[in-house]
Amino acid sequence: MATEDTDTGPWSDRGFALGGPDELSEREQAAVEACLRALADDEFVLAERYTEWQVRGPTLEGDLAVANIAQDELGHARLWYDLLEDFGHTEPELIWERPPEDFRHATLVERPFARGDWADAVVRGFLYDEFERLRLDALADTEYPRIADRVGKVQGEEHYHREHARNWLERLAEGRGDPDNGHRRVQEAIDRLFPHALTLFVPTAYEPDIVEFGVRPAPLSELRQAWLDEVVPVLEDFGFRLPVAADAHPEAVDTLLPTARGRDGEHTDAWADLHDEFTFTYRQLDRSEAPRLMVDPDDADEGGDHP
Amino acid sequence: MSDAERPEDGEHPDGGDLPDETFEDEPRYCAYTDYESGSGHPELPRTGAGASGIEARVWDALHDIEDPEMPVSIVDLGLVYGVYVDSASGEARVDMTLTYTGCPARDYLLSSVERAVEDVDGVEDVLVNLLWSPEWSVEMVTEAGREALREFGVSV
Repeated sequence: MATEDTDTGPWSDRGFALGGPDELSEREQAAVEACLRALADDEFVLAERYTEWQVRGPTLEGDLAVANIAQDELGHARLWYDLLEDFGHTEPELIWERPPEDFRHATLVERPFARGDWADAVVRGFLYDEFERLRLDALADTEYPRIADRVGKVQGEEHYHREHARNWLERLAEGRGDPDNGHRRVQEAIDRLFPHALTLFVPTAYEPDIVEFGVRPAPLSELRQAWLDEVVPVLEDFGFRLPVAADAHPEAVDTLLPTARGRDGEHTDAWADLHDEFTFTYRQLDRSEAPRLMVDPDDADEGGDHP
Repeated sequence: MSDAERPEDGEHPDGGDLPDETFEDEPRYCAYTDYESGSGHPELPRTGAGASGIEARVWDALHDIEDPEMPVSIVDLGLVYGVYVDSASGEARVDMTLTYTGCPARDYLLSSVERAVEDVDGVEDVLVNLLWSPEWSVEMVTEAGREALREFGVSV
């Protein structure tokens, strides 16, 4: 199909240090790809997890909101995967046929939800969406025009994700219904998820090039500090304990990191199951043989196993 | 409903301390009724006014395509950013966007546009160029589009 998104046409007058997909050096392309894989995989896998809440949310509005947020994140994943397709990768290669160890998302987004624990979804959304805002703000200054074209659209769709997370965080923390229960569950989710949230900021081998070429001009270390400055005080103001102070030394923060960090391809056990689940239908369909609901009438005429 | 949200009196010997706000309260309006309409773009929407020849015919064909969820033309919705036709070679390019990134009708709309433009007399080849910048907003809906949406029951 001759549907492509090739250039910005007359719409952008900003100059860029990097060219289009066909004009990059090998090193530049590798940096762009590494940046995009982390972006796309984070969004895709988080959306996969969020969809588990569909028809299980605690209120009708919460249910619709989480389904809608999942749809947004899938849309964003699509936008970033599109840019990987610029380099010749196909959708099956990028998603359905990619081995689980080749995915580059942070472990935060792959962790299973504690059963029925809405506080887990709320805390996860909060930690992730504050990170995403910072990452998108950094990408607004990208030197790669194809990313620049998409950042504004994605930013516009993220605002209510943060509003939703903060709204629920407040309700659970301050208590409607049983304050101890909501508060306790949020605290447990923070204890469980915070180390995994830190994997969002784990640099890959391409990080120096990503920054140097201006694919994402701000380094992850800077984003992590900005993130800690944002999320730690908010959670502390609600009366939660954090495993680290906002101004802790970076090396002290590093000690909290889990063994598997996602960005290097090493994932937690939960990832194998999730990967297996979302590729199940694709594998079942087995494109070499079209699925049939009934025996072809022509074959049935020849006897076959029909009565 | 998760346990985190459901007040369970049984677990509270001093249930009198429960906050007044329970689900038995009167329903309240959703606070989120204030929608930002976005900033629009000085050169948008474009509707093909003033176009001539093959380009005018392409715009006509695009006018006939409706959004799958609402009875409004994609041109009046402001999704089409530009039509460019090389009249010598018959190569056409349509710049367009979608209202939001997770649009489930993405493939449907893009292939509808491609097929409709291919059928235009004088068009030999078509490229549908999906753009995400400038970002679509309600500001880009034309007056005819607003009319159609209002009739459908959407407040714009």
